Amino acid sequence: MNTETPAAGEIDWADKRYLLVDDFVGIRQLLRESLRNLGAKHIDQAASGGEAIVLLSKTRYDVVMCDYNLGDGKNGQQVLEEARLRNLMLPSSVWLMVSAEKSVESVMGAAEHQPDAYIIKPITEGVLLTRLNRVWTKKQIFREIDQAFADKDYLRAARLCEEQIALYPLHEIDLQRMKATLLLKSGVPEQARAVYEKVLEERDYNWARCGLGKIRMSAGEVDAAQQMFQAVIADNRFYIDAFDQLALSYQQQGKHEEAFGVLEKAAKLSPNSVPRQRAFGQTALKLGNIPVAEKAFRKCIEMGEYSVAKTVDAYFGLARVCGQKNDTKEAIRLLNAAVHQFGGDQVTLRAKITEGLVYHESGDYRRARKSGDELEAMLSDETKQRPDSTTCLDMATLLFAVGVKDAPVTLLCYVARNNHDNAPLLDDVQKIFDKARMGDEGIELIKSSRKEAADMMNKGVLLWKTGKLIEAVEWMRVARKALPHNMRILFNSAQILISQLHQTGYVRELAEEAISVLMHVDAIAPGQLRFAQLMEQLAMLAPVSGVVAAATATEYEAANGAVPE
Amino acid sequence: MDEDQAQHYEGSPELLMFLASTVHDMKNSIGVLSGTLENLIAGGAPPPSAAADQAAHDQPGHGQPQYEQLGQMLYQTRRLNDNLIQLLALYKEVGKPGYPFDPAAHRVSELVDQVKGQARILLQSRGVTLDVDFPAGAIWTFDEDLVIGVLVHAINNAIRYTRDRIRLGIRIDGDYLELRVEDNGGGFPPAILEAGADAMKTGVNKVNFLSNSSGLGLYFSSEVAKMHKHRQRHGGIALENGGALGGGCFILRLP
Repeated sequence: MNTETPAAGEIDWADKRYLLVDDFVGIRQLLRESLRNLGAKHIDQAASGGEAIVLLSKTRYDVVMCDYNLGDGKNGQQVLEEARLRNLMLPSSVWLMVSAEKSVESVMGAAEHQPDAYIIKPITEGVLLTRLNRVWTKKQIFREIDQAFADKDYLRAARLCEEQIALYPLHEIDLQRMKATLLLKSGVPEQARAVYEKVLEERDYNWARCGLGKIRMSAGEVDAAQQMFQAVIADNRFYIDAFDQLALSYQQQGKHEEAFGVLEKAAKLSPNSVPRQRAFGQTALKLGNIPVAEKAFRKCIEMGEYSVAKTVDAYFGLARVCGQKNDTKEAIRLLNAAVHQFGGDQVTLRAKITEGLVYHESGDYRRARKSGDELEAMLSDETKQRPDSTTCLDMATLLFAVGVKDAPVTLLCYVARNNHDNAPLLDDVQKIFDKARMGDEGIELIKSSRKEAADMMNKGVLLWKTGKLIEAVEWMRVARKALPHNMRILFNSAQILISQLHQTGYVRELAEEAISVLMHVDAIAPGQLRFAQLMEQLAMLAPVSGVVAAATATEYEAANGAVPE
Repeated sequence: MDEDQAQHYEGSPELLMFLASTVHDMKNSIGVLSGTLENLIAGGAPPPSAAADQAAHDQPGHGQPQYEQLGQMLYQTRRLNDNLIQLLALYKEVGKPGYPFDPAAHRVSELVDQVKGQARILLQSRGVTLDVDFPAGAIWTFDEDLVIGVLVHAINNAIRYTRDRIRLGIRIDGDYLELRVEDNGGGFPPAILEAGADAMKTGVNKVNFLSNSSGLGLYFSSEVAKMHKHRQRHGGIALENGGALGGGCFILRLP
């Protein structure tokens, strides 16, 4: 067995700011007493999740001790999620989740927004102090890694993990887990696979089995992946991540009934997840199981009331359900509510698409056509950004169905230009042309769109290769404006900007331009090796490590919503 | 998951949620009760420098009946808490695939600190000394909350049997971590020793809950031990008499 010296010496717990969240006043008093015995002076208390959020937005606490079960309103997990997503915590802050019993959540494998530690009641001073010291030490060990992670400099973060493993054997498993996640985000799944396999030689960790399963799934070894997820479920029926992954694998195979069965079990075991209920509702809708879809979407909306994870998808899904039940009035009411609550051009567009679908499915072709015309008018406003490819395809399908011709063709060409080397997506585009009885025209249109995109890119690359860097940078700006979602153009654009930076030395404006281009790529298609490599090159050019990247990343997320994981 | 199990789980999430909120409530009450008692005892006790792991039975104030009664109340409260944890574990089928089992690497010294911290005031109030002996710097992989639960329960149990001294001795024995809770009392009666041996037998009636009041604790401890698996080996428990202090010994072995 290994020995090591603690990383942190004596930690001064007296000077820290504490927040206690528990709906039971007796517990708060006891905990306050314990903290005072540690020397603490600054202790605030909240009796509910709502109160906690108010206090959290006023003060940056060093330690939050929050009961999971807070009676009505938000539960502890929802308070944590909101605090993290709204940046109400310092990166160094510690979150201890208190529960009455051994927590199922602690082993569910949902990696996002985990507290730093779970503590079971009754809490004694000895346990509290040990856990606080431990979490604090661990934070120190992970500090630089977390910073590089936040800056999306994944390759450097992975290297830092490796360095820390040698220094802190006690945290080896946690560091390996982080390293595998980072390698996946860097687009080197084979290296992540090696990490998981090494860890599994030591012990059958479910997270490692799930991680390996995910890699196998994306490598096309779907049967092997499904066996791994099933083995995890057999070993621990609360390991919800395995259910979610298994459902996803069935969906990718087009086996919607199997996916439905798995999601049904998962939703029963752990109903309080917005993404899970959304997936459950959407699968039910696909299978025409209207009652289940309705229940799932309603649950989604109900949970969203207290959760920052609330999603407009649930409103659109429920509107579709109402449409299929011939209650178009309720459907329209829901769509208005969605636009009112979420706002923004994208939501307004998607609400209009759903409106058209609802009318179309309920047989009201006149109103459906009217929605289509309104949609066409909205699209003609060139100043507004087009939505993502999937939404564009939905929109084109609907517009063809209600009898609009020009707008959907423009949309499909736009999608083809932005994805000129994405064969599966181009197949989908062709299918929509085929369905609209425009098969031959579609082939020609896709061909010319692809050529247009390739020409734009080649022109930039040629300028770059012939050393005309300034012209290349300028041209790629034009190309990006024309094809804002084309990954090849975006990557090359960032690459050329970095070349320019190498030549001129660090120029903040150019670096930020490159970073925002890369953030956009990572949002469209996460986990690309080229993204990780370019981010690493940028970080090495920056005079202050990482800081600029973090700032730009935050700005990007503020403007465009969180980058999906 | 076979068909049988699946049927058993039908409808159980609602019951589990109800149970969880009831337990939550009970845990709050017990927490406040034992916390208040600890504060009362600590308030009426000699200065902490003389307390902690030192023999406290000859300190002034300990002869007072009120102090002893408080100690008795704390002891019973802790028993109540142990039983509640174990019953809940039983309901959630400790040892079965669904149980939230969460092994991780921990410092043995931190395990000892936490167990000591949980038992300190109770031991002090009963005038019992706790000796600890463990390899400095050792790291082992186990489910910390479950192992703390087993050891604290074993210490609470030893308080009943000991004269005035309990020893928590931990050592690395080949591929296992051996954790012993020993006392200097008269040792376990034969029936308990037998129940301890039965707890690790498979196929047999597991533990006979009806005829044996220690059954629940032994069953819980043996299931916790068995859940710890590593490279084809799994953990176990044993009861014996003798050991370093000559009284009863509870032994937990983890691979």
